[in-house]
Amino acid sequence: MLDYLKNRKKILGMNSRYLQYIRPNNLKRAIKIADDKLLSKKVLQKNKIPVPKLIAKITSHEELENFNWDKLPNSFALKPNKGLGGAGIVVVFGRKKNREDAWVKADRKIVTIEDLKSHIRNILDGNFSLSGVPDIAFFEERLTLLKLFKPYAFRGIPDIRVIVYNRVPIMAMLRLPTKESRGKANLQQGGIGVGIDLATGITTTAVQGKKSKIIEDIPDTRLSVSGLKIPFWREILELAISTQDVSGLGFLGADVAIDKERGPVFLELNARAGLSIQIANLAGLQERMERVDGLKIKTIKRGVNVGMDLFGGDIEEEVEEISGKKVIGFKETVKLVGRNGKELEVNAKIDTGAYTSSIDEELAKKLGFEKTMDKFNAIGKTYEELKDLDRNERWRIYRNIPNLASTVMVSSSHGTTYRPIIKLNFVMDGLPVIAKMTVIDRSHLKHQVIIGRRNLSKFMIDVSKI
Amino acid sequence: MFNYLTIDYFVSQGVPQESILLILMLPIVVTLIAFFRQVFGIKSFGIYTPSITTFAFLVMAGEAGSKGIKYGVAIFISVILVGMATRYILKKFRLLYLPRVAITLSVVAFSILAVLVLGGSMQRTGLASVPIFPLLIMITIVEKFVSAQIQKGNRTAFILATETLFISLVGYFIISWNVVIVTVLAHPWIVLLTIPINIFLGKWTGLRVLEYWRFKDVLKKM
Repeated sequence: MLDYLKNRKKILGMNSRYLQYIRPNNLKRAIKIADDKLLSKKVLQKNKIPVPKLIAKITSHEELENFNWDKLPNSFALKPNKGLGGAGIVVVFGRKKNREDAWVKADRKIVTIEDLKSHIRNILDGNFSLSGVPDIAFFEERLTLLKLFKPYAFRGIPDIRVIVYNRVPIMAMLRLPTKESRGKANLQQGGIGVGIDLATGITTTAVQGKKSKIIEDIPDTRLSVSGLKIPFWREILELAISTQDVSGLGFLGADVAIDKERGPVFLELNARAGLSIQIANLAGLQERMERVDGLKIKTIKRGVNVGMDLFGGDIEEEVEEISGKKVIGFKETVKLVGRNGKELEVNAKIDTGAYTSSIDEELAKKLGFEKTMDKFNAIGKTYEELKDLDRNERWRIYRNIPNLASTVMVSSSHGTTYRPIIKLNFVMDGLPVIAKMTVIDRSHLKHQVIIGRRNLSKFMIDVSKI
Repeated sequence: MFNYLTIDYFVSQGVPQESILLILMLPIVVTLIAFFRQVFGIKSFGIYTPSITTFAFLVMAGEAGSKGIKYGVAIFISVILVGMATRYILKKFRLLYLPRVAITLSVVAFSILAVLVLGGSMQRTGLASVPIFPLLIMITIVEKFVSAQIQKGNRTAFILATETLFISLVGYFIISWNVVIVTVLAHPWIVLLTIPINIFLGKWTGLRVLEYWRFKDVLKKM
């Protein structure tokens, strides 16, 4: 209960969204651009930001009557210029076979020219506009779906909402269209919002619909919503920050989609970004924005770095918490603790293909195993001489060597040999590990230390982590 | 200056006490609506609809006695239900907005007339004696409802209507409460306190009560 009260200060509510963020940061002129989709398209395009292409616009009933329907392509999106929360958008994704005057909508229903006309009349009358004033209808290019998203999105294009404040990406969410939302990605229409770890672009937790119900899997599938890595992650964040610069919205909800051919494409500016993103990420906007308040962010790249550093890494901590294991990458810095009390930090390769860990001979010598190695090499028995002996017989040959733990048969490009194993402890990601390592010549290789499965039981490996 | 802000002074200038009371109650009602929005997060149809409904309830109760408020609520609910049904019927015709609302309003008006006649024939004279102006005002609420349906969908429109009814009822009970009436009549200047209250509400950045519910998962799991 106490946590509950403490956490409330971290969450952005509607009152403070307006008073503390929209009012001081989003000037009237900037909001005017954001609320006018055609105008924002124009402004963004002028500043070289990729946007969906405009096919045609209809500004009056007269224009509607004279509209040349033949010029519409097979797929398109019809939108009200000043719509709110995805209302009034019709997405068409193919022409109906054998019919000149009909298309198929995202929900597989047929839509005829007459239907479109009636819908456009409603748009022109302002039935979908922010304040009910007469509006403009326009057709724009429908983006093509990325293969990666195909199983996740129900007949529509997912997009990525990024909250940008003070040139720093604060929070992000992947929005997936569902059956309920009829191909639209807006949460208000029943879409799914999936939280994204800002540092890695990997999805975390998810909510669906207006009621923001927390979900684990995509409805009607067993596809987990978490663990999906968004491609072009850095580019998406950079794009969001550059649109903040162009639009002048200090508190911006940027919508970016990924087109199969064009890559990240900017969809929409939002001057009043929704608050459900906090539920999708299980994190508070207020706290995050207070942390970047007053920072001077000189470049876009710096903004992305700050956002990634400050608001990323939640997944890793979460996994560590659940599994009790440390999450490491495939390359890690390890601190080797030598016999002579010497500690050396080296870059090690994490190799789950190897059972035992191994270390370069020269490095082992530096760590107090010089005598061990010299004596081992002095005996200099070849594989041929040793292969028919049993364990005990072999050990009798080597047992007088100081600090030798055992020997092991190693096959490499140099042929098969017996190599010494030494006891060598190390510290990786803060955890001490008691280990035995094979000593081999790795001087020609990039990594002087390999950590094998035998010493990895306390760790989990995230191959995308560098 | 407070000497001039007394009911006796207003009445001596020829303003009817009934009007003075209603006018003085208006700031209280609208402040209440603002309070519900900013602190509780109850939205309703803006500020006009719940305040006019509150006064419609008040006038109905004043004219038709204690049963007036029951009739008022019944009429409010029937207006919304008939409006909802009419929208379903009219959907097929694909009409433009204003003609569609005009038809909806007419249908609602006929239905209310039918209810009144029915009530009269069943010897429920109280219903038939409900004053006409508040009744007409309540019929026009349907426009707000239809426009909310179009812009925000059925569910939201229904929630907003329920919230409007709730706020109007709370408002009605407050302004018809004897303690409040007596206090306002004795010290009309008290009504001026609504201005600092609204300044406070207008600067308030805390979470709304309903937002604690909305963000309960975040609050718990953060």
